[in-house]
Amino acid sequence: MSLISIEDLHVHFISRGIDNQLMTAKALNGVSFSVEAGQVMGIVGETGAGKSLTANSILGLLRPPAKIVKGRILFNGEDLRVIDQGSTSIRGKLITLIPQSPKTSLDPTTKIGDQLIRIQVEHGTASGSDAHARALNMLEQVQIPDPLRRMNAWAHELSGGMAQRVLIAASLINSPKLVIADEPTTGLDLTVQAEVLDTLRKLVKSSNMSSIIITHDLGIVAHYCDRMAVMFAGSVVEEGSVVSIFKNPLHPYTQSLIASTPKQIAKNGYKRINKGPPDLYNLGSGCLYKDRCHKAQSICDTAPQLLSLDLGHKTLCHFPGPSTNA
Amino acid sequence: MSATRRSRIIRFLFFRFVVSIPVLLGIIFLTFMLIRIGGQDPVAMIAGPVADSAMLSAIRSQLQLDQPLLKQFLNYVLLVSQGDLGVSWQGGKPVLSEIKQLFPATLELVFLSVGLAALVGVPIGMRSALKPNGWFDQLTRFCSLAGFSMPTYWLGLMAIFVFFYLLRWAPAPMGRLGVDVVAPTFVTGSVLIDCLLEGNWSALNSAMSHLALPVLCFALLAAAPIIKQTRAIMLEIVGSDYVRYARANGFSQKTIEKIALRNAAGPLLTFLGSELTSLLAAAALIEYIFSLSGLGQWGLNAILLGDFAVVQGYVLTLALCSMLIFMVIDLLVLMLEPRN
Amino acid sequence: MLTKKDSSAIVNCVNYSLGISRRSPTFAVGLLIVVLFLMLALMADVLSPYSPTQSFSYKVLNHPGDQFLFGSDGNGMDVFSRVLHGCRYAFGISIPAGLIMITIGVPLGLVAGYKGGLVDEVLLRILDVLRSFPTIILALAVVAAMGQSLTSMVLVIGVLDSPIFARVVRAEVLALRSSSFVMAAIAMGNPAWRIMFVHILPNAILGVTAQLPMRMAWAVRISATLAFIGVGIQAPTPEWGAMIRQGAEFVITGEWWVALFPGIALMILVLGFNLLGDGLSDLLDPRRRSVGK
Repeated sequence: MSLISIEDLHVHFISRGIDNQLMTAKALNGVSFSVEAGQVMGIVGETGAGKSLTANSILGLLRPPAKIVKGRILFNGEDLRVIDQGSTSIRGKLITLIPQSPKTSLDPTTKIGDQLIRIQVEHGTASGSDAHARALNMLEQVQIPDPLRRMNAWAHELSGGMAQRVLIAASLINSPKLVIADEPTTGLDLTVQAEVLDTLRKLVKSSNMSSIIITHDLGIVAHYCDRMAVMFAGSVVEEGSVVSIFKNPLHPYTQSLIASTPKQIAKNGYKRINKGPPDLYNLGSGCLYKDRCHKAQSICDTAPQLLSLDLGHKTLCHFPGPSTNA
Repeated sequence: MSATRRSRIIRFLFFRFVVSIPVLLGIIFLTFMLIRIGGQDPVAMIAGPVADSAMLSAIRSQLQLDQPLLKQFLNYVLLVSQGDLGVSWQGGKPVLSEIKQLFPATLELVFLSVGLAALVGVPIGMRSALKPNGWFDQLTRFCSLAGFSMPTYWLGLMAIFVFFYLLRWAPAPMGRLGVDVVAPTFVTGSVLIDCLLEGNWSALNSAMSHLALPVLCFALLAAAPIIKQTRAIMLEIVGSDYVRYARANGFSQKTIEKIALRNAAGPLLTFLGSELTSLLAAAALIEYIFSLSGLGQWGLNAILLGDFAVVQGYVLTLALCSMLIFMVIDLLVLMLEPRN
Repeated sequence: MLTKKDSSAIVNCVNYSLGISRRSPTFAVGLLIVVLFLMLALMADVLSPYSPTQSFSYKVLNHPGDQFLFGSDGNGMDVFSRVLHGCRYAFGISIPAGLIMITIGVPLGLVAGYKGGLVDEVLLRILDVLRSFPTIILALAVVAAMGQSLTSMVLVIGVLDSPIFARVVRAEVLALRSSSFVMAAIAMGNPAWRIMFVHILPNAILGVTAQLPMRMAWAVRISATLAFIGVGIQAPTPEWGAMIRQGAEFVITGEWWVALFPGIALMILVLGFNLLGDGLSDLLDPRRRSVGK
């Protein structure tokens, strides 16, 4: 049984516009993927594809006008929606989050050490001097220099990279089963990025945790993830092991993504797509990628079936396979 | 407290003192010029109806009103720095002693009202922000906007009508003590405190009933902006990244509220400080209606009659008080917020 | 007969009104109130049963009843007609004052925020002084000094509130100054004045638009307060503040209507302006528009 399994998740944003008409943005349209224990799954996609939204749905952080209209989120076999989205025994303890903006996510009025202690006390994992010792230990493990002094530091005194490390420490201190890292490298420079991700991977692997890394950077996925899921317009268009997908990308979108890394562009040149991101309010039926796809034909007006290769490599396309033209 | 913190605080205090002097001078200058460019001629008021032109010009030169404006201003500043704030032209009472007598009354009114308003308004504003756009929120927003819109004096008048004329609950709006009671000896100038100090219970009773209505009216009006601003501050905090992260960490609602409160303390204090200062001035109207013989009532009259020294003294007192309040609040915030 | 185009246009209008009211009921109610009062002001002559200054010396201090809808005041004048005509004064003061505030405040804020330097310093010092100085007293002193006319009131109120507008504009300008499109405009060699008025101003104007009704509310309030204290407009002019002043003496003896009705009118109109401003800032808040995650 997978550690966590998303099944056909649909999330809509329902609101009324100024003209008093109901507007529905279909942000997630049938997202399905699963993560096993001890695996690192990377979720890639362009801005607006629904990556962060998926993470928020798992954590139960959706607020109106967002609504889960269909689908299940199974964690250790139990549907998270049923357990009660507001449950505090899963969030922060069994499933934790490393948020996107490190410096602003830390409480400005509490010392770093106290924040780490607070996370433990809130979930009953430790208290008193025990919690203090564990917090200190965690800071050492994320390689924060001079950790004892840093325990008494304030959030604004940390650099972006250090704040991110503290957030990693906070996410791991309760020994969760699943760590979700939402764009963990935003705003960090390259050297710091590499260090932070190395630390994360080391700690996750050493405790046999699972991790979901959300990013738009294929390089990060290639280096740090075991499996990956490619998202577009709120659905997973391709899922499989990193090796398998990079070697043999099946979906045209995945192929375009890989072809747009600088190295590939240098090798093969590039072709322009004159279309912007899809309008979530007017999605249309059938394949969601058809407007941008160079392989699109009339059959793409009907929804594609899930095609499965071996090794768990799946894709949603009528014409999977190597591209016919560059 | 660390050494750097201490030196920071000292530096802060020093700079504030230094900066406040030119601002204060600016205020005195402004008042000075303003009150004199008017067409009021105080000399006629002082001299009375029987005086002839010779007497008028004699009085004018005695009061130095025939000197160039700048010279008058510099003279005034000189005198003030020595503690002499001049003399009221209605009855000749020295301004400084009048201020000492009347200001505590205003302070009493303002502190009681703002205290009440904050005690009630801050929790309401917070509760409103925690469930935005719910029915409680819409109701409070409407009520606070209504409070914003009510004219102070009108509310006072209506309150007098209902509670005094109709219900006979409140005493007649004539001063701070009933005529049938013995006034306490003047110690602090605040009637409530003085009565307590003396053990004069009947006077205390009378004072409280006389203050009840004005304090209630004033508090009602003071509560409106407090509710609005508390709500705004809380809303911003509740939507912040760190509160979102706290939620993601599965903190209980109580813990999240504690986090929000700690972050709200700074902006809230700053706001309460500025509210306090603007209410100090607005108190004048309430004093006027309820005849509370506070500083505001006196100052208001003086402006209308052109009693220069009194007006200058009044504005000076208010300005000094405001600056002091700002300084104390900023100091408190400095000490609270770790960002400094 | 309504054509199809007409009826769909009407349906569209209704939909938009409902949609906006739903999004911001405060805006809708505020707008309603302000427009209502504006119409009352314009049609005051038509709607008033009597002339506002016509005094019935035998009918002094009559209860509200069949002859006088809101009763009569101490001079035997009809309170209802006077309240209606008071609307004219309310708008007659707040609209010109508002125009003055914008004319002075917006350019001042633009220059202070964009150019900084001396103008900015001076503005900040002025704001500092105003912060510590009781503004009501300032208004009082100036109006008392400049005489009891409508024009002086309008001028004083307009000038007094301009720094607040300037502050709002300045804050917006400061935020926009480092945004990419402004940088691009500078790089393309636009002269400073062009950047200020063509690029920055349209974006800063939103904050101003939301402030304006609030400032007008304040203008109405303070003109009434000044009249109540006894400066500015005096009886028998049918201005609300002056009417409350007159009514004050009768409250203790139980003639409540003289002070009540002008006060209610004042309160509702000020409330309307405040709701309008509050609702506008709600509507124009860019954060609310996005379908956020």
